[in-house]
Amino acid sequence: MRRTPRLSEHRTVNRLSLAAIVAGFVVLGGVSSGGVFILQRNLEWTHWVDHTYQVQNAVAHFRIATEQLETARRGYLLSADPSFEAAYRATEAELVRSIGRIQHLTGDNGDQQARVRRAFALERELIASDDRSVAARAGGGVEPQRAFAGDTGVETMRAIRALCDEMAADEHAKLAQRSAGRTNTVRSLIALMVLGGVVLVMVALGSIWVIFGFTRDLTASRDELRQLNEGLEKAVRARTAELRLANEEIQRFAYIVSHDLRSPLVNVMGFTSELEAAAKPLGALLERAEAEAPQIVTGDARTAINLDLPESLAFIRGSTQKMDRLINAILRLSREGRRVMTPEPVELGKLFDGIAQSLAHRAHEVGATIEVAPRLPGLVSDRLALEQIFSNLLENALKYLKPGRPGRIQVRAEARGGRVVVEIADNGRGVDPKDHERIFDLFRRSGAQDQPGEGIGLAHVRALGYRLGATVTVESTLDEGATFRVSLPAVLSPEAAAA
Amino acid sequence: MNDSRHVTIVMIEDDEGHARLIERNIRRAGILNDIRHFPDGNSALNYLHSTQEGPSYNGPALVLLDLNLPDMSGTDILASIKSNEKLKRTPVVVLTTTDDKVEIQRCYDLGCNVYITKPVNYESFADAIRQLGLFLSVIQVPEIEGGA
Repeated sequence: MRRTPRLSEHRTVNRLSLAAIVAGFVVLGGVSSGGVFILQRNLEWTHWVDHTYQVQNAVAHFRIATEQLETARRGYLLSADPSFEAAYRATEAELVRSIGRIQHLTGDNGDQQARVRRAFALERELIASDDRSVAARAGGGVEPQRAFAGDTGVETMRAIRALCDEMAADEHAKLAQRSAGRTNTVRSLIALMVLGGVVLVMVALGSIWVIFGFTRDLTASRDELRQLNEGLEKAVRARTAELRLANEEIQRFAYIVSHDLRSPLVNVMGFTSELEAAAKPLGALLERAEAEAPQIVTGDARTAINLDLPESLAFIRGSTQKMDRLINAILRLSREGRRVMTPEPVELGKLFDGIAQSLAHRAHEVGATIEVAPRLPGLVSDRLALEQIFSNLLENALKYLKPGRPGRIQVRAEARGGRVVVEIADNGRGVDPKDHERIFDLFRRSGAQDQPGEGIGLAHVRALGYRLGATVTVESTLDEGATFRVSLPAVLSPEAAAA
Repeated sequence: MNDSRHVTIVMIEDDEGHARLIERNIRRAGILNDIRHFPDGNSALNYLHSTQEGPSYNGPALVLLDLNLPDMSGTDILASIKSNEKLKRTPVVVLTTTDDKVEIQRCYDLGCNVYITKPVNYESFADAIRQLGLFLSVIQVPEIEGGA
């Protein structure tokens, strides 16, 4: 037999599912916030890489401007052409601007700032030296060759070039470092995403495993339940068949017993009659003896023949008659028990009208009224059994009235969820609460035994009721009336009728 | 000449009391025919079928039959009588306590002539027995071989 998932397992599965969902969201959140952080770092690195490129540009620009200044100066020194001088002045201004730009860009870098300060100094030195040579040439006289001979600008130029190389090298190192940083952030991002993906896949697989396991258990327990159900149905069918057999056995028993009891009763009755017949000549003999020979008649003999004999015979006769009625009642119950119930549509209103009509004469005699409520529901049941049940109950209501109070019997019925509840309420003498169950027993009666009857009616009602799947109950207070309630299935199925 | 007095009354009844009451009432009704009483089925069948002075060989009979016998069912005896060529015209009166409709039907199907339920009320019982006298007087006694 397979294991049935218990409540605690159900809870475990719920908890695991919740944990998986939470874990999934945590991983997603971690991956996205980590991704945002890494991307921000990446943007910073990119910014710094750009910045380095700008600084490199500015350094290159400065170097070019320096070379252009030298070229313009030399051109002027050689040719004294004023256009060279103009170019020289323009380049001078450009040189100052380009250093200022480097200074601005490298505000964050102490080494570069120091170099920029040196560049400023060298530049001023260069410009001063150049200006001197240019001014000398403009004053005329100085040979171009001589002008170059005492030129100190060349040293300065070399120093500037070296400085530029230094700055470029610094920036190059920085570029390499920053590019590496940027690449690292991208790698981190990829690693983070792969990690997140792996965790998500694991959570998903775990969830699927748990759900599959749970579903398998559920399926197994459902199959098991179905098997149990089928077994139960079989057991119920078998039990029903057994009960039916037992019921038939009881019916047969009641039938045979009632017949076999009848046989000796025929004898008792018969010979009692014979005795009665024999008592007559005896009586005649006594009269004759009293007339002809009174001395032989004793008081004992007279009492025996005139009183004891008739009294005994009357008791025997009365008891036998009662026994005959009881046996007939058992016989009738057994016959009713064996009768096949045939469900058919029955209108309660018409049924009660018919019963009330057949009882109208008796009701008039005892001064009682039978009121059947309008619009009673219909049902599908055995008509004859219903007639017998309700006739019995109405007859009882008429029989057990409270003396001195006009009888009022009300019949009500209503459909209540698949059942029809019929109430027969009277204002008669009522039933003592301690007898509420007892009155349904065979041969049992309640209250003053002032009415004819053997205590069979209600037993019959209840037995018939069971066959219709009905329950019969009573609610009553002594001296205030009784309400008999019959709760019937609205539709009596043929299988239930056959049981 | 046929005379209803020659008809033997065969009473098959296990209850001695019932037998006595039946006999008394028959006599009281003024019927003086021979009454042969058998308390069980086998002795009755033996008498009916095989005995020399029995109805098979010796003349007409009227059978009073109780259905509840100790050794067999009364309906078996009824069937046995009605299937015998010599006995089948013998009137059979079923006299029993059973008033079950199915049982009565079955007896008539088997050829029973009258079915009487033994009432507990003795007057009715006596009346029913007295009716037998009338029944007996109208029995068409079959011609006996060799004549009476």
